[in-house]
Amino acid sequence: MACHERMEDDSGKYERIVHKNGSSYHYLKISLEFEEDTSIRLNSAQFKQLIISSLKQLFGEIGAALPFDVLQFEENTLSAVLRVYNRDLVKVWSALTLLGSYQSEMCAFRVQQVSPFLLALCGNSRTLKLE
Amino acid sequence: MVRFKSRYLLCEISFASPNGWQHVEEKKLHRAILEAIQKAHGDFGVACCAVSFAVKYLNTYTGILLLRCRKAHYRLLWSTLAFIHQLGKKETCAITCIHVGGTIRTCQKFLIGYNRQQLLRKLPTCKSEAERTALQEAVRSCTLQELQEDVVSASEEDSN
Repeated sequence: MACHERMEDDSGKYERIVHKNGSSYHYLKISLEFEEDTSIRLNSAQFKQLIISSLKQLFGEIGAALPFDVLQFEENTLSAVLRVYNRDLVKVWSALTLLGSYQSEMCAFRVQQVSPFLLALCGNSRTLKLE
Repeated sequence: MVRFKSRYLLCEISFASPNGWQHVEEKKLHRAILEAIQKAHGDFGVACCAVSFAVKYLNTYTGILLLRCRKAHYRLLWSTLAFIHQLGKKETCAITCIHVGGTIRTCQKFLIGYNRQQLLRKLPTCKSEAERTALQEAVRSCTLQELQEDVVSASEEDSN
């Protein structure tokens, strides 16, 4: 939903555009952490399957069918960028929170950043290094 | 004033084979529906619906089933009914919801009208003359009664 305003002014015309629900997706930056230092490695398919199995446990077949994408996946750090629809954000996020183990190894998903815009995930004031 | 509001789903079960009816009990149905909710909606679904879930009424002759659920989560239960295709690994069945009411009384009112319609629908499918006359008698008994009440009340008014 966009709203336009036009002001007739001496200093020049300006236009204000307000976007509500500007993006139909939400992007999550997450990483998978294992409790103990294990040598378990996942590829992107296994990673997505892990998230789907957590959704299935919590929200059933209907939850497991929620469409989401793993846009980026790094095997070394086990971190990824997910894309979900706005209406599914709460379910996917809660499924990530409640996952406890993978192949009987304790693990947890850490959600580092969530934003409706992908650009916001590239820069973060938390990771800013002040010289 | 805080009250627990519930929704009553009036459903109809139909079985693939005619012997399916012997095995149907309220407890079995209860367990089967909860298992179906676990499969379709997971732990979240079971936690939402199981709190105030009950099989309130079951009629094995007409296949009418009355389920109770919390008002906030009746749609979860309703959507699960579409996924139920067998009870206890034996009988294939299908459950359709014919009415949603807020109280048992409204469901009963609807059921009376629905049964009347079903009687009329079954009239053309009668196979024997005896069946047909019995059905016609049943239809007459549930419709004529109202007329008699009207006649009685009219005569009371006349006498008054």
